[in-house]
Amino acid sequence: MKKFNIAIVGLGGQGIITMGTVMKNAALSSDLQDVSGSERRGGAQREGYVETFVKYIFYENESEMKDPRKSMHSPMIESGGADALISLEPLETLRGACYINKNSIVIFNKTPYIPISVRMGQTSYPEISFIVSELMKITENIFYYDFDAISLENFNSLTQKNIIALGALFAKAVIPIEIAAIENILKIGKGSENNLKAFKLGLKL
Amino acid sequence: MGKSNLFVNGTKGDKAIVLGNEAIARGALEAGIGYASMYPGTPASEIIAVLDKNKSSIENLYTEFSLNEHISLHGAIGASWSGIRSLCAMKNVGLNVASEPAQFLSYTGVKAGLVLAIGSDPGAPSSSNEQDDRWYSLHNYMPIMEPSNIQEAKDFTKDAFDISEKFSFGVVLMAPSRLCHNAGTLYFGDLRDRSEIKGDFKKDPENYLNLFGMAVRNHAKYLERNELLKKYLIESKFNKIINGSSSKIGFISSGVVYAHLMESLDILGVYDHKILKLGFTFPLPGELIGRFFEGLDKVVIVEEAEGFLEFQIKKIAYELGFKGAIYGKEFFKQTGELTIDDVIVGISNFFEKPLPSYFDFAVKKDKELRDKLPQRSGTFCIGCPHRATFYSILKAVGFSNTEGKEREAVIAGDIGCYTLGLLPPYNAMDFLTCMNAGLGIGQAISIFDKQKKVIALVGDSTFYHSGIPVLLNAVQNGSDILYVILDNSWTAMTGHQKTPSTQKDIDGKPSANVLNLKDLVKSLGVSYVKSLDPNSVKRFASQIKSALKEPGVKVIIAKRECILQEARRNKILNKKGSGFAEAGESLYEIQKSRCVKCNECFVELACPAIILKKDEETGNDYYYIDPASCVKCGVCCEICPNSAIRKVEFDLKTEFKLRQRAEIKSAEEVPNEVRINV
Ligand code: SF4
Ligand code: SF4
Repeated sequence: MKKFNIAIVGLGGQGIITMGTVMKNAALSSDLQDVSGSERRGGAQREGYVETFVKYIFYENESEMKDPRKSMHSPMIESGGADALISLEPLETLRGACYINKNSIVIFNKTPYIPISVRMGQTSYPEISFIVSELMKITENIFYYDFDAISLENFNSLTQKNIIALGALFAKAVIPIEIAAIENILKIGKGSENNLKAFKLGLKL
Repeated sequence: MGKSNLFVNGTKGDKAIVLGNEAIARGALEAGIGYASMYPGTPASEIIAVLDKNKSSIENLYTEFSLNEHISLHGAIGASWSGIRSLCAMKNVGLNVASEPAQFLSYTGVKAGLVLAIGSDPGAPSSSNEQDDRWYSLHNYMPIMEPSNIQEAKDFTKDAFDISEKFSFGVVLMAPSRLCHNAGTLYFGDLRDRSEIKGDFKKDPENYLNLFGMAVRNHAKYLERNELLKKYLIESKFNKIINGSSSKIGFISSGVVYAHLMESLDILGVYDHKILKLGFTFPLPGELIGRFFEGLDKVVIVEEAEGFLEFQIKKIAYELGFKGAIYGKEFFKQTGELTIDDVIVGISNFFEKPLPSYFDFAVKKDKELRDKLPQRSGTFCIGCPHRATFYSILKAVGFSNTEGKEREAVIAGDIGCYTLGLLPPYNAMDFLTCMNAGLGIGQAISIFDKQKKVIALVGDSTFYHSGIPVLLNAVQNGSDILYVILDNSWTAMTGHQKTPSTQKDIDGKPSANVLNLKDLVKSLGVSYVKSLDPNSVKRFASQIKSALKEPGVKVIIAKRECILQEARRNKILNKKGSGFAEAGESLYEIQKSRCVKCNECFVELACPAIILKKDEETGNDYYYIDPASCVKCGVCCEICPNSAIRKVEFDLKTEFKLRQRAEIKSAEEVPNEVRINV
């Protein structure tokens, strides 16, 4: 059995749940593939920390898939258990850093959203350089972009940043899921044109 | 995929990625339900929402967003007695409200299968407590099923209806938020023929009438049925023993925690112990537990909260004379969500084994980092009318963060989106417990503490849930309180279900039978009732001020629709104007030259669209309205004491390019990519 765990973190309203849903749907093609992973969303809270997990499971054979000791998967990723972390907010990358290990790939968005505590002058927002150096103590595979800017530049809105970030993940990490499988999912539903374009933009990063 | 909507049309052989809540709903659909109801509550809301959304393409399905859980469960009972399989869903605390019908349900029994799906919320990310509803079953005798993953969520729900009918109990399906909001692979089953679903109430006085001796007889009957169910559960497919090798150690678990346990054992490379997976956690058959105990001298119970299984199993162990040791809460915490990390640590501690090094490193690194990170809490959406309501109330009672001024009034909180007002920077609640506790507790405080003004807050949906008798009580008993009803037209927090006073649906269609909230309040005997738009902050604040001077019960309705719904409707109807901004529209702007950084908009109102930026030339910070986020509600413009905020014509794209260039400059000291290897 092989596993590939992806943690996606950010803020409520950034489209994190959608990213998870797209990634999971791309894994339906084979019977020996399984997928799990929960979302943490607290009601309608905006700007609060949100995370979602995507756990791909690849069974060696049918009997492993039926083995009760192998076929039950937690909806959570354990500390250090993520092969990749995508974060749509710089500070929250550090909150999600509990999931990564020395081999993990980290993709994060450079646009900060200032929490209330900083607004009120009680704490200060960390510099990007601090965030990078803390992450570097865990893994060296760190990539960051201004996904807000790329989205606004190309779509005149912030709503595509999640799919651009998803493209960036596929550009930078070896994900055991075909790029075409993601594209097939993005082709379905409304906004497919923009979604495909956003994904391709990410892939070029 | 030929079928466009698998939730409705999927059959055996189909599979899809499905949310836990949707899997529960699909299981109920496969079982042939004709009734589904709930009072919305996170994390359970999607269970009924998905059925409601699809009901036009499902034959003979009735759905209802009831006004509260008490009504909702009674509705399910009525449907069941009419021969209709019924599903009722609620969040954990909902069962407090529905505990009365739940208590009677075992006395009377069901006719057609009845399943009560409960979304529990350990860690309370969306609730005001983290109660474990399983304990209710010790006295209401409702059997409890606990699915561990998406597939079981559907399969168990489907089977729950058969068991409900067979033993005449309403069956509880317990799903924590981790399962409700887990999304994973679901293999569909076949649907029942729906054409025959038709109500036919048959009198059954022996079971349905509970009074005096009849109640005592029904009590005896359900205790008997409980014994029969226990017998059935010894061999059922729901409780599974996985045999180990020669180890004398066994683990017992259920639900999502069982999934954590199995993956933890795999991570730790521990495969040789006996395991009992409980699909039913109430009732527990002694014989099954006895079989599991065979050959063991140590049993570890892995579960969340205070130890509902441990409580029952220790009793059974005593009755069976089991000589081994039983562990549980020594290794697994009682409060907060029991995560996979907690299970890994608990098992390692039990075996006195070191933690895997990657795990240990990550936990330590996280601890070290946490203290350095600014806290982040959720807040109202940009343009949310609640923000204006809180701002006005706080100004009316003299509160200011910037000037360090405390408010004089007592403010009673309640449950809904507006509960976020208890967080900084507003800190606008003095207590918060359950639905309609605000006015209930507040009216008594107003009677006993005459020195202080008391304000109680409530949302429209919460008011309809159970606030009407509380308001009536306050009027009848002479309390002196200002009751602010934050009427945003929707049950917004749980995904925007309608309330009795929702005037327009999302597609612009007027609702039928719309209640007039102001008239209702008046009819309850309140003579001081005002209804006004909270976004007119000055007017609203002065209304609060003058209401506080009046004696008795005063009601102010803060009436403005949820900004998300307004924007959605505008999008559907393709209207421009209010709602989310697009390029080339008029927008709000802070004039740098006039702004004195008094913090009225940035800290006191704290609209997240107002952000802090650095001037490239001077290096000074300044406040700036992010045009990509601002929804043009105009509130900041009204409150700025220095008239620094104005409405302007704006080209979003050009502006952002400028902002971009500035940012790239400031980020130059850090390379854009740090990549060593992949
Ligand atoms: S824009 Fe007005 S309200 Fe906001 S900080 Fe400046 S002066 Fe104060
Ligand atoms: S107009 Fe002002 S208060 Fe309203 S959304 Fe825009 S920045 Fe926020």
